[in-house]
Amino acid sequence: MPKLPMLNKRHLVIVGAGMAGSKLAHDLWQSHGHLFQIILIGEEANVGYNRILLSSLLANEISQADMPLVDMQRMCDDGVQVLANDPVTSLNVGAKTLTLKSGQLIGYDKLVLATGSRACLLPIKGREAPNVMAFRTLKDVEVMTQLTGCQKICVIGGGLLGLEAAAGLVKRGHKVVVFHRSNWLLNRQLDEEAAGLLLNRFKQMGIEFRLGESPVSFRQQDDGRVSHVECQSGESLAIDLVVMAAGISPEINLAKAAGLETNRAIIVDKKMRTSHADIYALGECCEFDQQTFGLVAPIWTQINVLLKVLAGEEAVFDIEPTPTKLKVSGVHLFSVGKIQPSTEDSCIVFKDVGANHYRKLVVNEGILVGAILYGNVADGNWYFQLIQNKTNVSNMLDFLVFGEAYCCPQVA
Amino acid sequence: MTATKKTAISGKTTCPYCGVGCGVNLTIPDSVNQDVPPVSGDMDHPANFGRLCVKGSSLAQTIKSDDRLLAPMLNGQVVSWESAIETVSSKISQVVKDHGPDAFAFYLSGQILTEDYYVANKLAKGFIGTANVDTNSRLCMASAVVGYKRAFGSDTVPCNYEDLELCDLLIMVGSNAAWTHPILFQRIASAKKQRPNMKVVVIDPRETATCDIADLHLTIKPGSDASIFSFLLNDSAQAGILDEDFIANHTNGFAETLSQAVESTPNLSFTADFCGIDEKALACLASWWREYSKTITFYSQGVNQSSSGVDKCNAIINCHLATGRIGKEGAGPFSITGQPNAMGGREVGGLANQLAAHMDFATPGALDLVQRFWQAPNMATENGLKAVDLFQAMEEGKVKVVWIMSTNPMVSLPDTAQVRRALEKCELVIVSDCKAHTDTTAMADVLLPATGWSEKDGTVTNSERRISRQRGMLPAPGQAKHDWWAICEVAKRLGFASAFSYQNVHEIFAEHAALSAFENHGKRDFDIGYFSQITKAEYDAITPIQWPVPKGRPEGTKRMFADGRFFTPDGRARFVAITPCLSKNQSSQEWPFTLNTGRVRDQWHTMTRTGDAASLAKHTSQPYVEIHPKDARRLGIEDKAVVRITSPHGEVLLKAKISRAVAPNSVFTPIHWTQQFANASVVSNLIPQVVDPLSGQPESKHAQVQLAAVSDVCYGLIISAVPLALADCLYWCQVPSEHGYHYEVVWQNGQTQAKLKAIDCHISESLTGQSDWIEYSNPITQQNRVAKLVDQKLVLLIYSHPKPESLSTEWLSSNLAINAPLSLQDRLALLVGSPANIEEKGDIVCSCFQIGTKQIEKAIAAGADSVDALGAKLKCGTNCGSCLPELKHFIPLVAELSV
Repeated sequence: MPKLPMLNKRHLVIVGAGMAGSKLAHDLWQSHGHLFQIILIGEEANVGYNRILLSSLLANEISQADMPLVDMQRMCDDGVQVLANDPVTSLNVGAKTLTLKSGQLIGYDKLVLATGSRACLLPIKGREAPNVMAFRTLKDVEVMTQLTGCQKICVIGGGLLGLEAAAGLVKRGHKVVVFHRSNWLLNRQLDEEAAGLLLNRFKQMGIEFRLGESPVSFRQQDDGRVSHVECQSGESLAIDLVVMAAGISPEINLAKAAGLETNRAIIVDKKMRTSHADIYALGECCEFDQQTFGLVAPIWTQINVLLKVLAGEEAVFDIEPTPTKLKVSGVHLFSVGKIQPSTEDSCIVFKDVGANHYRKLVVNEGILVGAILYGNVADGNWYFQLIQNKTNVSNMLDFLVFGEAYCCPQVA
Repeated sequence: MTATKKTAISGKTTCPYCGVGCGVNLTIPDSVNQDVPPVSGDMDHPANFGRLCVKGSSLAQTIKSDDRLLAPMLNGQVVSWESAIETVSSKISQVVKDHGPDAFAFYLSGQILTEDYYVANKLAKGFIGTANVDTNSRLCMASAVVGYKRAFGSDTVPCNYEDLELCDLLIMVGSNAAWTHPILFQRIASAKKQRPNMKVVVIDPRETATCDIADLHLTIKPGSDASIFSFLLNDSAQAGILDEDFIANHTNGFAETLSQAVESTPNLSFTADFCGIDEKALACLASWWREYSKTITFYSQGVNQSSSGVDKCNAIINCHLATGRIGKEGAGPFSITGQPNAMGGREVGGLANQLAAHMDFATPGALDLVQRFWQAPNMATENGLKAVDLFQAMEEGKVKVVWIMSTNPMVSLPDTAQVRRALEKCELVIVSDCKAHTDTTAMADVLLPATGWSEKDGTVTNSERRISRQRGMLPAPGQAKHDWWAICEVAKRLGFASAFSYQNVHEIFAEHAALSAFENHGKRDFDIGYFSQITKAEYDAITPIQWPVPKGRPEGTKRMFADGRFFTPDGRARFVAITPCLSKNQSSQEWPFTLNTGRVRDQWHTMTRTGDAASLAKHTSQPYVEIHPKDARRLGIEDKAVVRITSPHGEVLLKAKISRAVAPNSVFTPIHWTQQFANASVVSNLIPQVVDPLSGQPESKHAQVQLAAVSDVCYGLIISAVPLALADCLYWCQVPSEHGYHYEVVWQNGQTQAKLKAIDCHISESLTGQSDWIEYSNPITQQNRVAKLVDQKLVLLIYSHPKPESLSTEWLSSNLAINAPLSLQDRLALLVGSPANIEEKGDIVCSCFQIGTKQIEKAIAAGADSVDALGAKLKCGTNCGSCLPELKHFIPLVAELSV
């Protein structure tokens, strides 16, 4: 039994015990535990794990023991209240209460929505079948790791998540085909050239690709399970499992129902405040300046901002470019900033065909604005710094693409 | 297979480059598979006492089989020697029969040995019956010969190298000895260091490395040299420093000569104005001339290569005669030759206006004497055609067979287009050479493979009359033969077997010596009668000796004219009245720039030998034109950019070198690059066939030209494992490289992609294996670079950029030699130009230790404040010392930087 809340502390309730919610709870407990009674509510049975590591777990590169993001046990022992496996069903902003699926009613002084997102289920007939799943939670990974033999698996989506799933599954001995709507992989992070190198790498791993193609339908058996994926070409692929990794959509049903202002996600201001007093949102479920967030770095920034805001300190959130890395072992890829140049940008390109290395730097008026590195990503953070700091790179254009070692110790 | 085992041989020989004639120790390894180890200077040779310049030091690198001509060729097909000799001799017989002996000509070289020269001269002048025997020496010192002959009655160099160290005043005229005669320059520089009061004056329109030790530099208007000496003569008379006794007892013609000098150069201000120099500078020279009687005037191509070259020589000699500064220690007019054996050629009479052994056709009794000595059936009776006239006669169809030996007239004679027309017109062009591919072998009908330096035996004479042995220590490659042998074989086929049946080269030398002494009795300066009975063993043991070496004077002769006796009929030296005049062509609106030509430090002549030593290409890798910054700015020419230079005779493309060493409206360019090394940089295309009327020496240091920037081009660097055909580039230059092939190219904009594709195709056809590539493109800097690898080893590297860049290629090309897959970091570095942690050397200054500009600047920044300190730190300049003048320039640069 958790300890009873102290009466003189204000109740701060966090809805969502994914990475954003758990980390916020942890950091708040550490820094402002004296101010708040923290209640963390999660719908998953597992809370506080590092979702980013799911790919590595699937690929058998790490074990369950490596998964925790925060030390839940210590938090609980110290009075943080964690309610797992019990999703919130409604929010009453007037009464400042939440109702959980279990029926429990929880009041709050301050509420933080960290409801995250869900895998997009493409509008394909048969998508509700039992063998159509997402790659989102520890439970999903448990399902995948329990598959036996050589299963024929269809991954829908050639983005970061889909590729990580495909890589993990093929490593586990399954036969994987990836459908990707765009003509090249990771089309939001890579240009065609780099994506081509990536494609070759994945093909070498034994993964089959259908680019520029989405399945038309899933053919179901009598028991409802999908047995075939029907292609645009009329071809029909026999499969055992479908993994949907065609993007994520912010989970905003609760907020929407409560009357909070939403667009694609819950709209927040630079102090992470929603349209309603005492309600904040962060992570994948929030939208700031028309942007939503899927990578961890800006979300960590949001947590830091919110920590200060809740403590009454001055802090504002601002969007900064965030590098993308792919968590597939042996595949090194780094992408940051503006990678599709407009006419006023210039692209410096380096390509090592034999080594499958590729670099593209997008430069605008002497400032680096975007970078794609494939193969050798050692200089990724340096480029990231140059972009962040808006460093004028005019005097190192001759060497920029070759990396920090050539640019920085330059002879005066 | 086992290598043939031999015993290592070491021996003393003589350097094949400039006229200093340094002694060289050469060791031939005991196995044919071993490289020849680096040569060293001969401590016992009086020319160099162990020193060698960078060119000489690199001689071993040039002993290689690349591009050797190994078999006789007729119209591009290999033939036997038998058949080649037959073709040559029957054609000579035919043209002599049909058109007379003057339809045949030899065009020889200051690089062949005295013995080769002797038999060629004998065959032509005594047996075929033509004096059409001229030589590339015509281009370097013909004016000096005529100058000496007019004054002394003989072609006699009065001085020796010691005099350069003993004099109190050294006037260097038209000589960049620091680069062209480095060992003499070093001897002078060290003498001056020991005796700082010794004055060195340089007279040159250009600021050269030689100016580095000069107390005074007169940057005269091109061609105005003679008026300086005309003025000095006038001034000597006015100052009362004439040697009246010497003038009275040992000379003729002083009065008219002085009065002409007074008329031509009446005073200081007139002369200074004529020469375009400061009056004070001229006054300073005049005062030193008055003060120091131990004066040497040291002159070279800048004086000789002139339409009034002979007069310039005599203007100099006049001053020495008038003040008695001749025949004494540390005094005399000293002509320095450019070739290893120009002097030997002069001694045998291997010029069209000489007969033999320092006798002319006009020398009373000489024709008869020589005819009797040779037992010659067909004596030529009058002067033949001098080089430029010879090629003009060839174009006119008068000369129908030419035998060119060891020289490259397509590059060295003025007006290349005319030379080409002449050789095209000539019915049979025979070329004897070591190299298969030169601009001249390309014009040949018959190619005869010759032995070269280190393969052939014979003698050479240096600028101080010193005869030294060149020694053949390596076997002749392929079917290569000694030039004298080929000449004798043709002579035998022509029916002159008894006069050309030498078994060994020493027999030729003995005959040459015997002719020099034949009925001489002290009448002729050139007498080496001591050697007229020489045996092979004695010949092989000859140590360097200065002629004359008459019978009874085996020690030779150090200095000439000590007794005031000359070789004129009356024994008196002759003054020659001189009217100074400027170069023939002067600037005009259409041709506003005056072009001067010369040499770079680390190349020699047309690079047929120095071009084989990769290390020698590092000092100056491409042909260039030196332009004053004012002119460059006005014409929109950037440093290192390609420049088009046009004269009425042709055009060339060169890289701009913006420098204050040249005066505004003047440009300078080195002469070395041939079509074997660059497609469009043969400077002789620009030079008019203007010659000195007396010596026939071309005014090669003077042309009037236009300059224009070349726009809309991109610059490229190519490093390749296989040779590439780049014929359709606007400009290409092959830079000798230790590994593979290094080209610098210029493309018209828009052509790059097509060129790259063509090169890539060529590479793919030439090499098999798994290929891949690395590429880099930067639209901001417009840099494009690509490296192609086969089996993970570099085979091709191409850099292109919109502006000229100087990249250090040494590391890049060294990658061609790496016989293991390159690391990823090294692959990346291929397109950067250097590994991340390597020290950037910059342009190489010290060739011996491969020290570059950036290293020197760094060392200076770290506290090295003198050339000695640099040497201690980097070793630069501590071996051959050729780079010392350049090193000195870095020191003030640093002072400037630190202000």
